[in-house]
Amino acid sequence: MALFKNLSSGGGNFGEIIPIIKFDARSGRLSTRNYSGGEYVNVDVTRTFKAVMDLENIETGYISFSTGGAPDFCVARATEKQPTQPSQDHKMGFRMLLKLSKDCGGDIREFASNARACLAGIEALYTAYEAAAGENHGKLPIVVLKDAVAIVSGEGARKTTNYSPVFEIVGWSARPADLVYSPKARSGAVGAAGAPPATGSTRVEAPATSSDTADGFG
Amino acid sequence: MNAFERHGITHLSPSACNSFVASQAMFVLTRVLKKANAVGAAAHRGTAAETGIAHGLMNSGASLTACVEAAVEHFKILTSMSTDPRLEKERESIAGFVEQGLLALKPYGQPSAVQSKAEFVIDGIPFLGYIDFEWAASKIILDLKTAHVVSNSIKPAHARQVAFYVASRGAGDTGRVAYVTPKKSAVLALENVSEHVAALGKIGKTIERFLSISDDPLELASLVVPDVDSFYFNDPLIRQQAFEIWGI
Repeated sequence: MALFKNLSSGGGNFGEIIPIIKFDARSGRLSTRNYSGGEYVNVDVTRTFKAVMDLENIETGYISFSTGGAPDFCVARATEKQPTQPSQDHKMGFRMLLKLSKDCGGDIREFASNARACLAGIEALYTAYEAAAGENHGKLPIVVLKDAVAIVSGEGARKTTNYSPVFEIVGWSARPADLVYSPKARSGAVGAAGAPPATGSTRVEAPATSSDTADGFG
Repeated sequence: MNAFERHGITHLSPSACNSFVASQAMFVLTRVLKKANAVGAAAHRGTAAETGIAHGLMNSGASLTACVEAAVEHFKILTSMSTDPRLEKERESIAGFVEQGLLALKPYGQPSAVQSKAEFVIDGIPFLGYIDFEWAASKIILDLKTAHVVSNSIKPAHARQVAFYVASRGAGDTGRVAYVTPKKSAVLALENVSEHVAALGKIGKTIERFLSISDDPLELASLVVPDVDSFYFNDPLIRQQAFEIWGI
């Protein structure tokens, strides 16, 4: 399943604040952002990055990282109905939780981006995850940052270089106890234009594999 | 100590949220003032019918008569102190509910769990509930709703409830709601789980803000007014308590 159906087209939350890890597509660097001594300090973990990623619950949709305000996430689990784009400021993006290895701090981080170069790397990672998830049922991938590949776009004075992360699954782990997915209040279609979410009106039958018959009262 | 803890509330449930949405006065009465949470005969009928249906699903050899008897016996226990005038009418309808419920759910086979605990934290608020029926092998979670009319679509309150159950079990499970009447039934598939869980979170946060207004339960009561025409206040005990608190 493709996470980002169309990379060429483009929610602050009420919940608890989870520290973040960010990928800078302009430099190809990955860093944790920590609040220390009254200020935010970025710690580069590009070379050492290793984490259990909750790709099972990765959220995709549209994100606005507008300057001067809290980011606005309009996302839903990738396996569920996707929200519509709330505004032109909202770009296609993802959000997920991960648990860093002990060498990187060992804590839970939120990883989100709407940078096209980053999305390409996450797309490739998710494809690899899907391919191997069946053989690793109930487990989450242990992921490292193998490389960052330069992507050049534009020409002349408008020429820009961004870096796409190359993640690699190096193992699988049972879900860490503290890596708990919790939908945020403004996830999903909330904040998007349109109608309230449908609840469901499709009549369904029992799975064909069930043993008992409809008239079997015993 | 947060607003919930100050009012002795250790967790929320989908039904508590739905109660707040439908009748804030009822929420205050039962969850804040901790008054008796009496429900009418219709609610007891639903619980009793579920007992009978569960009996039939968990015991493949059980006859329909035995399932109905289990339901009626439970209904008698639940309503032993009730003065609800609809008591006899609801009791008479139980057999139909059990029969239709079994016709709808027998094809699913024996559930892997009945009334299993569901716990999940949404936006920092712990939620707790109990899932009517689960089939782990087919990853189906189902909530049973008895009513005298079959719904053509899942009601939003029911969607929030089942979405919470699905979320508590992780990715891959699907939610369904079985609407059962004494004459027919419909099992409907839940859609948009994340959105309904998010809605539950928003309601939870609203309750938190409401409770934050005051540590005094009676001050919170003074901010709402009960609609005593609502079925929530049908029970004579609840009606009396509402009068004693709000004077209407």
